[in-house]
Amino acid sequence: MNLRLATLLGVCALVAASAAQAQHQDAAGPVQVQNPFTPFDQARFVAEAKALGATDAQIDGFQKLVADNGLARGADLLLRAAVPAFDAAVQLQESSDPKAALELAKLLAASDKPLLRAHLRYHMAEVFLEADDPERATDILGDYIRNDINHSPLDGEVAYYYAQSLAEIPYPELAIPRFKAFLQWFPEASERFRSAAHQQVLELERQRDSRLHDLADRMRKTRRDLQKKKTDKPIQIDQEKYLEELQELIEQFEEKEKQAGGPPSGNGPSSNPATQSGLVEGDGSVGQLDKKPTLADRWGDMKDRDREKIEAEVQNNLPPHYRKMLEQYYKKLGPGKGNR
Amino acid sequence: MLKYLQERVNKATKDFDTKPEETKNSAQGQRETTDLAGKQGRVQELMRKLASKLSKENDAEEGK
Repeated sequence: MNLRLATLLGVCALVAASAAQAQHQDAAGPVQVQNPFTPFDQARFVAEAKALGATDAQIDGFQKLVADNGLARGADLLLRAAVPAFDAAVQLQESSDPKAALELAKLLAASDKPLLRAHLRYHMAEVFLEADDPERATDILGDYIRNDINHSPLDGEVAYYYAQSLAEIPYPELAIPRFKAFLQWFPEASERFRSAAHQQVLELERQRDSRLHDLADRMRKTRRDLQKKKTDKPIQIDQEKYLEELQELIEQFEEKEKQAGGPPSGNGPSSNPATQSGLVEGDGSVGQLDKKPTLADRWGDMKDRDREKIEAEVQNNLPPHYRKMLEQYYKKLGPGKGNR
Repeated sequence: MLKYLQERVNKATKDFDTKPEETKNSAQGQRETTDLAGKQGRVQELMRKLASKLSKENDAEEGK
């Protein structure tokens, strides 16, 4: 690998500068990317936590937090104890309060400490993923990978969620190498994440060559666009294209059927028919009847003046990068019930 | 059936897009786009199921 290529790779290769550019790069073939992550340095972490305000007693309790919750969660709990404003923002997140994204972004904009920024970005990504917004999650996790790695034991989870967000957008061609990188670079990650990453690679590779899966992926993106109230010409053109492709696929199957001299398997009579007709047993309920209110519900239930206050804070108290991110996030949550 | 369902979503999208901006931005407009997204999501899920079923069949045929 020449020096120029090696310089271009590393961290920058993990983060997609733009989907089109990165897709082009990935299409060129597999690349050996230098691992930008270093093993977790506990002494450095403790020193940084102290600099953020962790007391000796809190540091002494860190090992117990790790024993009870695992390294990543334990580190997060220590930082929450050390930085009350961070803890307050995460509590908002845990109670699905729409203000959580704003409070996390405000702290992020005000912090120059990589360790705290790393944890803030991680929690913001969780907020975005909870709101079915993988594009925003990819942005914030990309910021983490560019700026904050090698300070927190959250690195492994961030690498996993970055790949996962790309898969959900869906950018499978970008997600596959990043899942593989996660598996290669984080052999000590929890089995839950490693097993999920393995499954994702298998599934995405299986889907990669299928035109039908590709069509389903693009429809998923359109679904998300519609959710964001995008119904203009580009969306309609995409939808027209789906119809054309469906028609082509129908014709292909009909042709295949003719050549095979019969209907494709699955359309014929069952080889194991039921002996009597009737409904399957069960209570017949669909979904969760005692469904918890979603973030969008909580946003809709807020008083107009509270919502307007949050929107004003987004406009007035955040730098452009986070302002744009949160404008899109709150727009997606929809209007309030007061407008209904 | 997939084609028919997609046609319905396309028509509903176009109809919605011709409405005045005020209507589109209202709470009712939000509900309509949520409904549209749900319909597009159902077509997507059916397409995914069909794709998975066909790839399994193809895998089985290749394995014979």
